[in-house]
Amino acid sequence: MSTFLDALSLVAQPDVLLAIVLASIYGLVVGALPGLTATMATALLVPVTFYLSPIAAIATIIATSAMAIFAGDIPGALLRIPGTPASAAYTNEAYAMTRKGQPELALGIGLWFSAIGGIAGTLSLILLAPTLAEMALNFSTFEYFWLALLGLMCATLVARSSPVKAIASMLVGLLFSCIGMENPSGVPRFTFGVVDLLGGIEVIAALVGMFAVSEVMRAMVTPPPPLMARRRFGSILKGQWALTKKYPKPQIRGNIIGIIIGVLPGAGADMAAWVSYAMAKKFSKEPEKFGTGHPEGLIEAGASNNASLASGWVPSLIFGIPGDTITAIAIGVLFMKGLNPGPTLFTTKASSMYAIYIIFIIANIIMIPLGIVMIRIASQVLHVPRALVVPVIALLCAVGPFAITNNPFSIVTVAFFGVLGFVMERNGYPVAALVLGIIMGTMVEQSFVASLIKSDGSLLPFFSRPVASVLAALTIGALIWPAGVWLVRYFSLRSRPAG
Amino acid sequence: MQLSDRITGLTLIGVGALAAYGASRLPPMPGQDIGPSVFPAVIGFGLALCGALIAFGVGRSFEEQAEADFSAHQEPQERSSDVRSRFHGLRALVPVALLLFYVAAAETVGFVPVAAIIVFTIAFALGADWRHGLALALLAPPAIHLLFSKLLRVPLPAGLLPMPW
Repeated sequence: MSTFLDALSLVAQPDVLLAIVLASIYGLVVGALPGLTATMATALLVPVTFYLSPIAAIATIIATSAMAIFAGDIPGALLRIPGTPASAAYTNEAYAMTRKGQPELALGIGLWFSAIGGIAGTLSLILLAPTLAEMALNFSTFEYFWLALLGLMCATLVARSSPVKAIASMLVGLLFSCIGMENPSGVPRFTFGVVDLLGGIEVIAALVGMFAVSEVMRAMVTPPPPLMARRRFGSILKGQWALTKKYPKPQIRGNIIGIIIGVLPGAGADMAAWVSYAMAKKFSKEPEKFGTGHPEGLIEAGASNNASLASGWVPSLIFGIPGDTITAIAIGVLFMKGLNPGPTLFTTKASSMYAIYIIFIIANIIMIPLGIVMIRIASQVLHVPRALVVPVIALLCAVGPFAITNNPFSIVTVAFFGVLGFVMERNGYPVAALVLGIIMGTMVEQSFVASLIKSDGSLLPFFSRPVASVLAALTIGALIWPAGVWLVRYFSLRSRPAG
Repeated sequence: MQLSDRITGLTLIGVGALAAYGASRLPPMPGQDIGPSVFPAVIGFGLALCGALIAFGVGRSFEEQAEADFSAHQEPQERSSDVRSRFHGLRALVPVALLLFYVAAAETVGFVPVAAIIVFTIAFALGADWRHGLALALLAPPAIHLLFSKLLRVPLPAGLLPMPW
């Protein structure tokens, strides 16, 4: 109990509360602007968190990401353009509702069920994290190696692309993590004589490049989104309680699926929304209504993408394995703030952990009033032309990473990863898998090499410890799964009679 | 920058082979069989293997499914945006060129003028009229300078145009 009170006093600091409110507004605006993603909002925020207290820094990330994922629904419903990729799965549905003259209902569903999903996700974080942490205390390098590898494999499995390309992306990421002398033997690797590379790739710079610069580049070659007609809205929350009672199952399913996908490394809010929307349609009593402005899919997917946000913190806090791209950034901030992820966080920094729970709950509650205000002024915000927003973002891409390192070389890194991210995206190579590779490379290598040294080069102990063998089986299963799916599909196509 | 799978696959084979070769030339750790070269070598081989699979089109069917799924949910106008001039795609490189320009010029010319050039160029390229672009270029860089150098104490280069704060 005293830890809880400590946590409460940590959160009740004026700087933390101010950070939550400002970050919420920032997240709402960035999320609502089409083409600017929640991950990008978080990546551009990191330089600022550098100068905040640890709890305030985490609070800004939590509040920004939660608000941005909700706000992505706004242009989805009003313009048929998802504000963030997490809303893409149900944009058509929400827009169909607006065309039927029910924009309030569509936006209200987005807001109300996002908040509920966010709180459900937080509960999962509260329940799952301590249990897993207790288990993780018994892990040795063998388990950590398999866990990290399993995390990487999950990220490739859930990517909406070819699994081979996803694995290739991940391996490229691991290769980037080899750069520098941060390896078990301290030998400079792949530095090509460049002194700035000795310390390794600057992760934040790489993330800003991947998620922000590539987005700016994309804006240069795509037409601007249409401007929205100004409109006035009726009551936003009217009818939401009735929907909550009418559709308990889709809601709960959405929350659970969101939580599971959030916990899986590398898969985040966008994946959760796609899977949940498909599930809602599959299990619905009236699937023929989907796509015509039916609330069921919106409820399930809207809850799901916000639920995944909080549960994404579970593997991030306990194992240092990011649950999605947003927590991939958050892990960097945690290290920067001395809250190194690991099972011992619960014993050494218990009050900070509780503070994270409290911030999540606060963020999801204030989402409702702030969200209503945002919806009411959405037409003004969406009226700001893209040509005036994107240049400022480009400038922040240069200043932000520089602010962390005070080294102009990080801007070169930003530019390089911007081009790489842009080219990869265009050719179907999932960017999230590469990012995960960069972040987890050191952990994979250290646990791999330490395990090999312990076992004197023998591979047997990798499989003989009980937990390690289960994790190994899962990892190998994740590797074989796509091949199995492909074979089944191949043979079912061949056995079908021609014509 | 739409490249064929054959090209990206071959590139990956090349990168993988180079990584494995580079790893093999790393000095071993004295008295230890497992040195700094093991991990990059494993990755290099894996990458070359993936590259070969991609070049032969393995896994293509998964991608087609995802694409069909996605385009069913997308604005039709967004899909047809790529058919303009041949040099249209090169516009994507403008932000990158500007970032490199920043690295090259900021130290001597100073943050605010360089930032103004970046902001104006991108705004103009995105179709803002010159008055809006100019207004943004005059207002945004000093504002960002104030935020980062005054509040966050980032040593942004002063150059030719030091700010009064």
